[in-house]
Parts: sequence; structure tokens; C-alpha cells
Amino acid sequence: MKINSIKNKRLNEEVLNIELNNGLKIFYMLKRNYVKKYAIYSTNYGSIDNVFIPIGEEREITVPEGIAHFLEHKLFEEPAISIFDEFAKLGSYVNAFTSNNQTAYLFSCIDKFEENLELLVKFVQDPYFTDENVEKEKGIIEQEIKMYNDSPNWKVYSNCLTGMYLNHPVKIDIAGTIDSIKKINKELLYKCYNTFYNPSNMVIFIIGDIDFEKAVTIIEENQKHIEKAEHEISRIRIKEPSIVNKNLIEENLSVSIPLFNIGFKDLDIGYDGEKLVSKEICTNILLEMLYGNSSDFYEQLYEEGLINDSFGFQYLGYRDYGYAIIAGESNNPKEVHKRILQKVEDILKKGISEEDFIRAKKKLMGYFIMDLNSIDNVATSFIAYLYKNYIMFNYLDTLEGINMHDLEKRCKEFLKEDNYCLSIINPK
Amino acid sequence: MEYTRKVIGNSIGLNFVKTDKFKSNLISFSFIRPLTNEEASLNALVPSILKRGTMSYMTSKDIQKRLEELYGANLNLDVNKKGEKHIIKFSIEGPEAEFIGEENYTDRLFDLLLDIIYNPLLVDGTFVEEYLIQEKENLIKRIEGRINDKKQYAFERAIEEMYKGEKFGVYKFGDIESVKKIDKESLYKHYKTILETSPIEITIVGKSLELDIEKILGDKIDLKRENIIQIPRENIFSKKQSGKSVIFEKMDVTQGKLILGYRINIPYEDRLFDAFIVASEILGGGPNSKLFLSVREKESLAYYVYSQVLKYTSTMFILSGIEIENYEKTKEIIKDQVEDMIKGNFTDEDISDAKNSIITSIKTLQDNNYTVAEYYLSNVISGENRSFDDYVNSIQNVTKEDIVKSCQVLKLDTIYFLTNEDKR
Repeated sequence: MKINSIKNKRLNEEVLNIELNNGLKIFYMLKRNYVKKYAIYSTNYGSIDNVFIPIGEEREITVPEGIAHFLEHKLFEEPAISIFDEFAKLGSYVNAFTSNNQTAYLFSCIDKFEENLELLVKFVQDPYFTDENVEKEKGIIEQEIKMYNDSPNWKVYSNCLTGMYLNHPVKIDIAGTIDSIKKINKELLYKCYNTFYNPSNMVIFIIGDIDFEKAVTIIEENQKHIEKAEHEISRIRIKEPSIVNKNLIEENLSVSIPLFNIGFKDLDIGYDGEKLVSKEICTNILLEMLYGNSSDFYEQLYEEGLINDSFGFQYLGYRDYGYAIIAGESNNPKEVHKRILQKVEDILKKGISEEDFIRAKKKLMGYFIMDLNSIDNVATSFIAYLYKNYIMFNYLDTLEGINMHDLEKRCKEFLKEDNYCLSIINPK
Repeated sequence: MEYTRKVIGNSIGLNFVKTDKFKSNLISFSFIRPLTNEEASLNALVPSILKRGTMSYMTSKDIQKRLEELYGANLNLDVNKKGEKHIIKFSIEGPEAEFIGEENYTDRLFDLLLDIIYNPLLVDGTFVEEYLIQEKENLIKRIEGRINDKKQYAFERAIEEMYKGEKFGVYKFGDIESVKKIDKESLYKHYKTILETSPIEITIVGKSLELDIEKILGDKIDLKRENIIQIPRENIFSKKQSGKSVIFEKMDVTQGKLILGYRINIPYEDRLFDAFIVASEILGGGPNSKLFLSVREKESLAYYVYSQVLKYTSTMFILSGIEIENYEKTKEIIKDQVEDMIKGNFTDEDISDAKNSIITSIKTLQDNNYTVAEYYLSNVISGENRSFDDYVNSIQNVTKEDIVKSCQVLKLDTIYFLTNEDKR
């Protein structure tokens, strides 16, 4: 068994890893003294992968919105046993999630890790779709969609993405729509499964106090029959214009005060790895300095009653898309938006303060260190970064490599007057 | 992980949880107050005004800058309900010193937290008028903003309806009218009352425990406080005669939120209470529970359906999100499943699955610094003083007989439905 190690002295952490012959990558991080043991089995397949050439076919297809998420629900179905019961017998907690970029199945347990792991690997590798069980799921997912539709915080975000993007599938809801899920059938589910659930497109991350070699043996044993895919997956990349779809989207829902999301669409895309993550951190430092809790902007708008505690922001960057969302509640979201742009002008005129820069860096550094407390968080973040072609442990080094010049450049190029969408949910 | 507790001065508990598994240190102060209409809004406003400035860090901005210098230390100020107690909590968390290479780092965290609690910005001996006006407005917005999160709103409303006229029915931020009446004098007076008369629990989770809290605190305040308040144990038995009331609340929603509130009628001090915890787990704990299987998997009526036990008031809630037209059907299925529990229609396997699941939850509380702190705080509040292992053992020893017995005095009290229709 050829096990590699990624060490980080500074964080006092180590990740072991191995790649099986069929392409499956397995990672392990030792967390001593933790009661919990946790495993996540993830495929690099999410809601945005909706146009592709199915494995063994020649022509591209567009699948209904929400199918990756539907597939996630249905993988729990097995002909003879109930997966939930099996995990329950072991006293474990099993769950799954679908994001724009990945679908992941996970469990946490305190005991019998190997049995849990075997169960996880088996059920993810064993799809069982029938007309009947696919139909039955539609009612459940319809209620899930309706739950989201009643959530103004979700709607304001979802509308903002629709406003920023014209073609890119990041704009569609992960769960799809009540109409789109009706078009899902077992044949389509198998096509998606067979294309994207190949080990070469998948990762297992385990964390806790675990015997890694034993875990690898179990996974290997259960993978014997699965061959590496012969070809790379043909995902069709959608061309996204360098403009936004709409600058303003408003909707009325039962809320007490208008909610807003201001999205800035990143046009500097098309790369991953260190460069991508560096851009991501740089942008988040920039947002901290401009609009963070210790900024003049925050102080002024808070005192004027234009924003409250709910105000916040984040930049998310991926290979083919990226955006910053600035969110909050306000009786005058348009004024908040105006002031946000003014602040950019201000800082470009006055220049960036070194003192603020150092503080913002310290803050992000502390956040990263504290986030390592949660083993669930470490596992999901590690995989998310891996899909960006980046090893999470390098975060602090990447962070330290960012300088004021990077920041000024980013400020000029990213936070512009035209690449935004202001999404507002007004009270009815 | 090593837990020690010491009482200093009068009613100030010092809880240390020494562990090196986390990469941060967490320090929290909880002031325990009675939950009442008169106090709730005042209690909620105190943390809001305190975060506006101290005599050393005169503005929110200065406090925030300080937090950033301390490597993004997390400052949390909030109020929460634990039964009929209202907990005002101040906490600060920062990365473990060895990872940032700064000495005396934890001391500085502690100093800042103390400064925020005990050294507020005062002008002419009281809070700043302008800040109070802003924070009152923000609190009113928060109260109004309850409707934004439908699931949480429905849950809180169900509690309010079920506990109408009882202390537990008071909303954690109080009500808008009470907020409006508060002025800087009344708030400052209440703030002093909180410091002088509340039982205080200080909890520290982390590695850097060389802090001499007793000394640092003793230098700042008089530890020998007098007139500490006594907050009585909740009366868990319903005052209502026949129980059941049905509440329909109309709102513009696409999904109805159905909540059934039950009185368990067994206090947590009773041995049978843990048996009921197991009963609730079998009924609606996880994806192999009776409710999940019947309401979701069999009938596709809901995406979420589960039961939840509130300890201090001995209440069980069953929550679900359903199609409006499926109200009757879902309600009947839920009641049938509860009936099954009372009749003992569940297997030994259901019991062992439920126990395993609860034990996993209890044990994994130890993997999060905030839940560890919360566990020990609850321990003090309930006067139980049981370790994680004691709790696990108690669950382990529950028998089928106990479970059935624990369900016999269960009474449906309130049905709450958030709907887009007028009452049928």
C-alpha cells in the first residue's frame, strides 16, 4: 500500500492519502481525542453539471434541473434493506447533500467505523431506481422545494444568481423546480449515475481516530468490480457572456423588512489551484476592509439605521464562475447599494490602509484555525478545495502571500458599477 | 477532557473544561434571569447596548478592531430561554495561542470580554441615549422579523400558544410595546440589577487555563454580592383543564407548517424522563423513526417531520412542513403513531436503535467547544450534575416497560397550523 502524506507543521496536522487503481482518491486525517469518526464519499458532480455526453453515448444531453439532487435522494433506496435502518442499527448518523459542484454522502459514528464505512461505500455504489420509487420521491422533493420557496433568505439569494447569470447553470436552483422534477425518470437517473459516479470522479475523506490501512482495505474490497472509466467525463461548458442578466430583481413575500442580496459577478475566471484560492482570499480580505464590522462604512450605515446585525458578505470562487454576495436587511436597499459603490470609489482614491489590511489578514487567519475544530467542516472543506485543485492546508501560506497591490488591483477590476445584480425581497 | 467546578464569591460558578483537542479557547459568562414579561425585553437589550462601546473601546468599531487584532476572535452576545429561565450570555472565542505565536493571548481575550460586560461606555453615569434609540429600533426590527423564517416562526408561535399565560410563553426578545417603554435610566438600572443579583456561570473550554479568573475578576468586581435571586423550578403540569386547543394562523405561505404540542407530564428529575427521551427518538428522532417512515417515506406528505423534547418544561413538539390540503390526513397519521407508542407497538430493535442514536448524540457533544460549554451550563441549571457517561448509562438502562410507562401520561395540548387559508 503506497500511502502519501501531506503534513502541515504549523497547524500540527497531517493528511494521509492514497489513490486506488480505479482512480478513487482516499484521504485520512487523524483527530486524536475526538469521539466522533466521520467519513464522506463525494462525487465531483453537482447541479451545474446538467449538460454532458452520457458515458457510452455520443451526443450531448441536457437533463432536467434538480436531477443531481434527486439522484442523491434516490441512492438511499435499496431493494432488500433500508439504508437508514442499517445505519440506525449501528447508532450512526447518515446524511447527504448536493451543492452546485458536488454530491456527497456521509456518516458520523462513535463505534464500528469499519462496518459503517462498508455500508456507505456499498450503498453509494449500488443504485436501485424503479419507476415506482422515482415517482414516490417526487412528492417529498416537491415539499422540499416549497420549503425553500417559503424561505425569503433563500429566495433573495436564488434570485440574485438568476440576475447575475444568463446561461451558466449556477443560476438554477439545486433542487430544481416542481415542473422540472416531474420530467425525471429512472433512465435519466441511471445515465447521470453511470457518467458521474465513477471512482475516478470521486473522493473519500475519513477523519477521526481511525485505522487508515484497514479502511483502505475495506474500500478496495468493495471496489474490486468497478473499473476506471476509459474516458474523461465530457461536461459541456456553457458560454457565459461578460454581462449580467439583470441589474435589479424584486419580489414580494411575507417579510417584515426588505431583504437584499447584492451580487457582483466575477469575470476574471477560467483557472483553479493556488491562483484561484489566492483570488478568493484576496477578495474576502478586500470585502472585510471595505464593509466589515470594523469599517467606516459599517459604522456609518449602522448608525443611520440603513443596515443591522444581519449585514454580511462572502466571495465564492470556482473555475468557471465566481461571485461576491453582500446581504442584509434594510428599508432602503438601493441606498445601501449606492453607498457600497461609493465606498469602492473612495478607497480607490484614498488608497488602502496598511493597518486595516493587516487586521483583516489576522482575522481570516484566526477564522481558518478555529474552523479546524469541527471535523465535519474539515472534511467538507478539504474536498471542496480539492475540487478546486488545491490542498486546504496551504491556506495560511496563500493568505500570507497576498499583498496590498493585489488588493488594489482586485478592487479596481472586480467591484465595478455594471457587473452587479441587486435582488430585493419586499414585504407584501 | 477534564471538568472542574468551583464557586467563588456568592453564586458565581467557575467551570473549567481542560482539553487540548480544540484549536481555540472559549470563555463565556451566563447571567441567569427569570423569564418574565417585565424583564424579557430589558434582558435582550442589555447585550445590544453593551456591544456599542466600553470606557476603553469607545465605539463598536473600536471593539471590532480589537477583535480583529485578536485574530478574528468571535464575540457572541445573546439571550436565550432555558425553560422559565432567561439566559444572557456573553462569550468570546479565539485561536489557541500556539498557532498564532502570541503570548498572553488568552488573557487579552478575557480582558476584552470583561471590559464589555463590566465597563460599559457611560455618559453622565448612564448609557448613551443615541445608541439606545438605535438598539431599540434594531430589537423591534428583530421581533418583527420573526415572520421571515417560517419554520422557526411557526415553532415559536406554537410555544407561545401552548404556554399562553405561562412564563415559558414569553418570547426571548419580549414584545414591541415593552421595548418602546425602555429608557436609558430604566435600562441602566436593570443592567446593575443583572450584575448584582443574577446567578453567574463562567465557563472556559480550552488548553490555556493558566488564567487566574478569581483574582482578575475579584479585582474588578465585588464577588460577595448580596440579594441573589432565586428562580423557581418550572411547574410542568398543565393549567388547562381539557388540554387541546387548535390554532390556525394565516400567512402567505406555500407550505403549511403543522406543529403538535404535547405535555409529557413527567419532570426531568424523574427517572422515567430518560425513558421518554427514548420514546421520542423512536417516534420521531431520525430517518428510521416512526414518523419519518409513515409521514414521509410511506405517504410522501412531507420533506421534514420530527419530534423534539424540551427538557425544563417537559414538552414534546412534533413538527412538519406539509401541503395545506393534507392537514387532516397528516395530523391523523401523527396521532396514530403517538397512539402506537402509548400502546407499546414498537420493537426491541426500535429501542436499541433509538438508544444508540441518543448515545451517539450525547457523546459527540464533546467534540464541539460550544456544546461542551452548553452541556455543563445545563447541568448547573438543572442541578443534575451528571457526566456524559452518567447520562449515557441512564439511557442505556431504559427498558421497554419504562418507555411504555413514560408515554401513559402524555397529553396532546395544542395543535398549531401555519396556513394560507382561513380557518376551516
